[in-house]
Amino acid sequence: MTNLTVWILALPLLGFVILSLAGRAMARPAVLTVALGTTGIAFLFAFLSFLSVHGTPPSSPAAGDQVIYTWVNSGAVGAGPNANPLIISFGLLLDPLSAVMLMVVTGVGFLIHIYSAGYMHEESDGEFSRFFSYMNFFIFAMVLLVSADNFLFLLVGWGLVGLASFLLIGFWYQRRSATAAALKALVINIIGDFGLMIAIFLIFKTYGTLNFYNDSNGTIGVLNQAAPGLTTTAICLLLFIACAAKSAQLPLYMWLPDAMEGPTPVSALIHAATMVTAGVYLVARAHAFFEVSPTALLIVAVLGGLTAIFAASIAVFQLDIKRVLAYSTISQLGYMFMSEGAHDYSGGMFHLITHAYFKALLFLAAGAVIHALGGEQDMRKMGGLRHRLKITFWTFLIAALAISGIPPLSGFWSKDEILGSLLAHASATPGKTGDIFYLLWAIGLITAGLTAFYMFRLVMGIFFGRYRGSGPAQHSEEVEGTEIEEHIQGHGGFYRIYEAPAVMTIPLIILAIFSVIGGWIGSFALFGARNWHPLETFLSPVFTNPAWSATPVASPAVSLSAQWLSTGLSVGLGVLGILGAVALYRKGFEYKESKNDFYQLVFHKYYIDELLTAILINPLLWFGRAASQLLEGDVLDGGSRGVAWVFGRTSAGLRRLQTGYMRNYALAILFGVILIVIYFAVRG
Amino acid sequence: MSIPVSWYLVVSAIIFTIGIAGVLIRRNPLIIFMSIELMLNAVNLSFVAFSHYLDSVDGQMFVFLVLTVAAAEVVVGLAIIVSIFRTRRNIDVDDMNILRG
Repeated sequence: MTNLTVWILALPLLGFVILSLAGRAMARPAVLTVALGTTGIAFLFAFLSFLSVHGTPPSSPAAGDQVIYTWVNSGAVGAGPNANPLIISFGLLLDPLSAVMLMVVTGVGFLIHIYSAGYMHEESDGEFSRFFSYMNFFIFAMVLLVSADNFLFLLVGWGLVGLASFLLIGFWYQRRSATAAALKALVINIIGDFGLMIAIFLIFKTYGTLNFYNDSNGTIGVLNQAAPGLTTTAICLLLFIACAAKSAQLPLYMWLPDAMEGPTPVSALIHAATMVTAGVYLVARAHAFFEVSPTALLIVAVLGGLTAIFAASIAVFQLDIKRVLAYSTISQLGYMFMSEGAHDYSGGMFHLITHAYFKALLFLAAGAVIHALGGEQDMRKMGGLRHRLKITFWTFLIAALAISGIPPLSGFWSKDEILGSLLAHASATPGKTGDIFYLLWAIGLITAGLTAFYMFRLVMGIFFGRYRGSGPAQHSEEVEGTEIEEHIQGHGGFYRIYEAPAVMTIPLIILAIFSVIGGWIGSFALFGARNWHPLETFLSPVFTNPAWSATPVASPAVSLSAQWLSTGLSVGLGVLGILGAVALYRKGFEYKESKNDFYQLVFHKYYIDELLTAILINPLLWFGRAASQLLEGDVLDGGSRGVAWVFGRTSAGLRRLQTGYMRNYALAILFGVILIVIYFAVRG
Repeated sequence: MSIPVSWYLVVSAIIFTIGIAGVLIRRNPLIIFMSIELMLNAVNLSFVAFSHYLDSVDGQMFVFLVLTVAAAEVVVGLAIIVSIFRTRRNIDVDDMNILRG
């Protein structure tokens, strides 16, 4: 099997290096050639890799492993029977799981690169190349994350995607809110990185190696020898801290809505389709640990479920269209973790893939709307745009239907597989744990209804009713000969709204096609085709082959009737949500502030940001200010000023000796000589 | 008969003290130089006296050394004084106090 992974990794890195060294001097077509060329070829290579894995499924992880060089090879560390040499090699792993991730990362990444060429068009040349160099850097970091064959280089990738996210959220660094959001994302991500690091220390302490699996050099792996125990649970929980920070789960989700300060293509690529799914990938990759620690798995499922409904409820009341989508992303990631918590890892990966299509599409279409309106993101100032932005409208509608779980669009298949797995796991598990999973299943259903509602609130608000804004600010020069009567407020602006150029609409159309058909890689058991589940079959070696996992995952069997029940309820609730939104906003979106306490609570996102500011940030700021005044000012500055004062006063006294009169010096010499003579005379 | 060495030493001490007083009191550098020469020659006198008294030529060798150094010192010193006089038109040592602290 030819291993192209190293090229998938190297090409975006090359693009990043070229663009960051020479980008400012390059013309735009050259910048685009480098950025799109490297990611495009990387996607091509990822596709070839995928085909080769698909053609001949590897028998063991070592078959797809490629050790590029050995970085660390120490003698035995520690003493006694646990003394192992520390061997850390930079290796790239190509197995079904990483092949799928590579496809998603490079595929969606390439489409979003194309889209960005249109979206970022109005930036200056320097900013344009800076944007693409960051984007290439992100693709490189993400490829490293998903193809590393050991925990250490996973951590490197993990940290670098966080850095790329920081750089891109703060891309418009002149905006104070953007830099603040970037800082928030970085700080919260570092909490996760810290968890991952401690987990890695624990893994090495316990197992004496950091490789995922036995690699082609003969280094033993950790995942195929995972054993139950308290340490494993600790490792799992620490890993989940990392996942929660990266994938914006409770209680570390706060950074993702603020991350919408970045350019919209960034929101689509990093904060919807790829980087935030790294946590889902890590849980799937380290499932051998989670499988032997039911407690940790239960915590994953419960936090996923809570996040799903919590974020969906906030999304219902948001007014900024990108923030609605951000909370929606958090909620959908919650689904993926719920699925993994119910032992259905391939279901989580399935939703990851379909979500990457329709959520990237939703963001890109929202970006097209924002672009057309010259930067407007507030739903109160939109409306009626379906007449002006036809392609955007139809693609957005497809994505909204897909995320609402309407058959036969992609979201339907993945969401119903997750709900089915939850129900099956609930009925297969006795006692309280089973009850918890019934509850999670119900939460999943309610969230599906909420999702449909807030998505169609968005559709109605943006595309239906009357236009409520005043037109794009940037395109305000009057076209000659068009005198528009402004008897309807904002009507003049409405006719200056234009559909995005083809470079932006083509990615929308491609993603829309995948949002429709992307779900057909899932299971068709519901409709009688029991042998049609390509994704599950493709991923099954990773989850069931003992070479990958010490304890093969036993996905609970779903009875057909239970599956139908779950599907029926979720589709019913989805349709109900859509109809509710359409009925409520059929005359166009109208914002009415309610004084209701519950409304206020949810509208202000449960006051979590205010709470954090009060209990964490303000005390820290107070402490910092006090420290800077007391410690820095009084103690350190005061101390050094005191020393300087003492020397200053002493010198001022001593300088009086330097009279400048030669005779004084001569006299001093004389006295000195006399003293010496006396000394020797007395001493004898 | 010979004059005892202590007489020489007394004369030497007197001349040396006159030299010191001159260096400390006078303000004309030429006079100061002359005072320094007095001090040096007072020492020379005691050297020669001791040399004779101890019947050794070592002291006379030191005298030659001191004479040479004194000559060199005067050359340099007078050059400096001439140069100062050219720039300041004044060689009062009390006015040369720009290095005062």
